[in-house]
Amino acid sequence: MKMTGKLISICALIATSLALAAAQDKGPTDVPGSLPGIHMASPLPNGTWVTPEGDYAGTRFSPLDQITKDNVKNLKVIGTMSTGIPHGHEGGPLVVNNTMYVVTPFPNNLIALDLTKPGYPQKWVYQPHPDPKAVGIACCDVVNRGASYADGKIIYNLLDANTVAVDANTGKQLWRTQVGDINLGETITMAPLVVKNVVLVGDSGGELGVRGKMTALDLKTGKVLWRAYNSGPDKDVLIGPDFKPFYKKDQGKDLGVSTWTPGQWKMGGGTIWGWVSYDPELNLIYYGTGNPGVWNPDMRPGDNKWSLTIWARNPETGAAKWAFQVVAHDAWDYDEIMENVLVDMPWQGKTRKLLIHPGRTGFVYVFDRETGELLSADNFEPITWAKGFDLKTGMPIEDPSHRSHQGYYTKGICPSSTGAKEFVPSSFSPRTGLLYIPAHNTCMDYEGTDVNYIAGTPYLGASVRMYPGPGGYQGELIGWDVAHAKKLWGVKEADLPVYSGVLSTAGDVVFYGTMDGWFRAIDARDGKVLWQMKLASGIVGNPMTYLGPDGKQYIAIYSGVGGWMGAVADPNVSSDDDYAALGVVGAMKKIKEKTGLGDVLYVFGF
Amino acid sequence: MKTLFCLVTLSALSFALAACNRDSGVAVASGATPAIPTTVGPVPGGGAPPAARTNPFSGNDVALVEGRKLFNWYNCSGCHGGHAGGGMGPSLRDEIWLYGNRDDQIFDSIAQGRAHGMPAWGPKIPEQQIWKLVAYIKSMRTPQEPDPPLMPEQEGIVKGTINSVPEAQK
Repeated sequence: MKMTGKLISICALIATSLALAAAQDKGPTDVPGSLPGIHMASPLPNGTWVTPEGDYAGTRFSPLDQITKDNVKNLKVIGTMSTGIPHGHEGGPLVVNNTMYVVTPFPNNLIALDLTKPGYPQKWVYQPHPDPKAVGIACCDVVNRGASYADGKIIYNLLDANTVAVDANTGKQLWRTQVGDINLGETITMAPLVVKNVVLVGDSGGELGVRGKMTALDLKTGKVLWRAYNSGPDKDVLIGPDFKPFYKKDQGKDLGVSTWTPGQWKMGGGTIWGWVSYDPELNLIYYGTGNPGVWNPDMRPGDNKWSLTIWARNPETGAAKWAFQVVAHDAWDYDEIMENVLVDMPWQGKTRKLLIHPGRTGFVYVFDRETGELLSADNFEPITWAKGFDLKTGMPIEDPSHRSHQGYYTKGICPSSTGAKEFVPSSFSPRTGLLYIPAHNTCMDYEGTDVNYIAGTPYLGASVRMYPGPGGYQGELIGWDVAHAKKLWGVKEADLPVYSGVLSTAGDVVFYGTMDGWFRAIDARDGKVLWQMKLASGIVGNPMTYLGPDGKQYIAIYSGVGGWMGAVADPNVSSDDDYAALGVVGAMKKIKEKTGLGDVLYVFGF
Repeated sequence: MKTLFCLVTLSALSFALAACNRDSGVAVASGATPAIPTTVGPVPGGGAPPAARTNPFSGNDVALVEGRKLFNWYNCSGCHGGHAGGGMGPSLRDEIWLYGNRDDQIFDSIAQGRAHGMPAWGPKIPEQQIWKLVAYIKSMRTPQEPDPPLMPEQEGIVKGTINSVPEAQK
C-alpha cells in the first residue's frame, strides 16, 4: 500500500502523541546530558515512585533535576513521621497520586500519607496482623524492603510469608495469599515487583534450610500463576526448551538434583530476598539467588545448583532463558541476591544490552543480558577468596586456601559473609556512566560445623566471626566507572559499613545514608560531600525522590538502624561474643555507641 | 470509699495467693511436672514465689560440656548466637532475663517456648538434656564456661589486615 504524504504526517502525529502520552505516564528512557550511546532499559519514574527501585531496570536514577549540586546545601526537613517500630527500616516509600505509602517492619503495617496537606497527615493505616511466631523465624531482624504499586493496588509481602494487595485509595485488603510456611522456616522480607499482571514474590530463610523459590501471583486475584524453585528437577525449576545458558558449567539435565548429595536439594536454600529487574523489550525478568543450605560446605558436596545464581526468565510463564551460577559450591555464605542494573551502553566499541551486578562476592559482574555471557568481573573491595574470573569458562579463579571446611577455622577470608556489598541497592547515572556502590570492607574466619536439620530452626553448620578488613576503613560509597571497569573514587567510613541504598538524579547529586545516621548528598562526578545531616538513627533504607503536589522535588529516606549487621545496635545482642548474630558482632563493635534504634521517615525539600 | 478499695485489693490478693498455693500444692503432691510449674508474669500482690525445682546437673563439669554440645545440636546457636550472644533470639550471656534466671525458669523457657519465636522444645528434647542446657547457659561468663568465645585477637589475628594469606590480592 502506498501512503500519501498527508496520511504519513497524520500517522506520525498520532504516533508522536501516543508516545508523548506514554512518556507522561512513565517518563523518559533517554536522559538529557547522558553519555553518548547510553540508553535506559526501562522508562524512568517521572515524579512518582511506584516500584521498589523506581524503575523496572533497577537503576535508581531519577530524571528530576530541581535539586542540583549547587542548591542541595539548602535542603531542609519538610516532614517527619515515626512508625513506632524500633527495627531496621530497609527499603523506601512509594509515591503515587499525591500519596506516600510506607511499609513498616513487622507487624508490616501500611501507612498512607496525604502529601497535599501540611504535615502530611495520615489517610489510613492497613494492619495485616501477621503471625507473631514469624519474628523468631526471621534470620536478620524483622525487616521489610518495600512495596509495588500497580492497577490501583499496593502489593507487598508480610514476614509470615503472605503477600497482600491493598486498595491504594481506601486501604482495604483486596487479596491475601500464603506463599510460604513459617513452620518450615520460610519468611518474606523482599519487595515484590509487578510486571504486567504478574506479581513476583521471592522468599527468605536461607539460614533455615528452606527450598528457595520465586512465586508468581495474579495481580487481580492473588492466585498462583507459576512457581520456579532454585533446586530440584528441571520441571520444578521451570527449565525447558527455551533454556540456553551461555556456559557449559550451567548446562545439563536436572542439575538441581545431580549437583547435590541425594535429597539435600530439598533443604538447599537459594532464596530470593533481594531485588527483581525487568527488561520490557526483551520481556525478561532478572534476579539472583542466595546461599545454599547448609552453610557448612562439606555437608553438601557438589555444585549445589541453583544457589548463587542469576536467572533470566519469562515473566508470564516463568520459563528460564539463561542462568549463571556465580560460584559453585559456596563455602562462605555469599548470597548473590543483589540488584541487577539493566542499561544499554557502549561496551568495548559496540552497544550492548548490559546487566550490571555488583556482587556480595566482591566483584562487579557485567553480563550481556540477552545471552548471559560474562563480559567482565572486577573486584571493588579487597578480596582473598578468588583472584578473578575466567571469562571463557565463567568460573572464578579461586584461592583454595580461602575455601572453608569443616573442622578448622579458615582465617582471613575477604569479604565476610555479609559481602563486599549487602542487598542494599546501588544506583547508575547515565549522565556520568558511574555505578554508585554502597560497599563493605570486612573479613572473617569461618569453620564448618556439624548440624542437624530441624524444620523451622536455623540450619547453619558454621561458626563465623567477622572483623574489619585491611586499609583502615569499613564502609565506602564507591563511584565505579562501568565502561572501564574501575573504581574512580570512594567516600570512606572508618568504623561501619555503608548499609543504605543509593539514589542518583539528573541534578548530578547522589544520596545515601550511613549506619551512624548521616544522610548525605555527594557530587555525582567526584564524590565531594555537598550536604549532610545527622538523623535520629542509623540509615539502612533506600532514598527516593518525587514531585509533590506543588510541583517541587522532594527526597525521602527512612532512619532506623537494623537488619543483619545493624541489629547489633539492639540491646538484645551482646558485644562479648564475636560469633553472635551469625558472626557479625566482631565487625560492628562501634555501632552501639554511635547510634540507637529508630523508626522515623524523613522528607527533605526546599 | 477508701475502705471499699482496700477490701477489693485484699480479696484480690488472697485469691491470687490461694491460686499460687494450689499450683505449687499440685506439684508437691503428685511429684509430676505440672502444666505450668512456674509463673511467667508478676504474681498479683507479690507473695511467695512458687517452689523452684533444682537442676540435677548443677556444678557438673561433664554436663556443662554436654550442654555446650546440645546447644549446637539443637540449633540453639543459630538463633541465640555461636556462644549465645544473641541474634535472631536475645543474648543469653547478658544480665537481662525476661522470664527469670533461676534454673527452673530457664528450663521452662526452653520447654514451653516463649512468644515471638522461641520454639517449645518440651515435646522434642528429653528433660535431662534440657537441664544440661540450663547448666551450660548458667555457666556463661564464669570460669566454668566450656568452649568460651575466642576473639580473633586472642588467636593472633590482627584486625584491619589480611591474615594468613599467602598471596593477598590488593
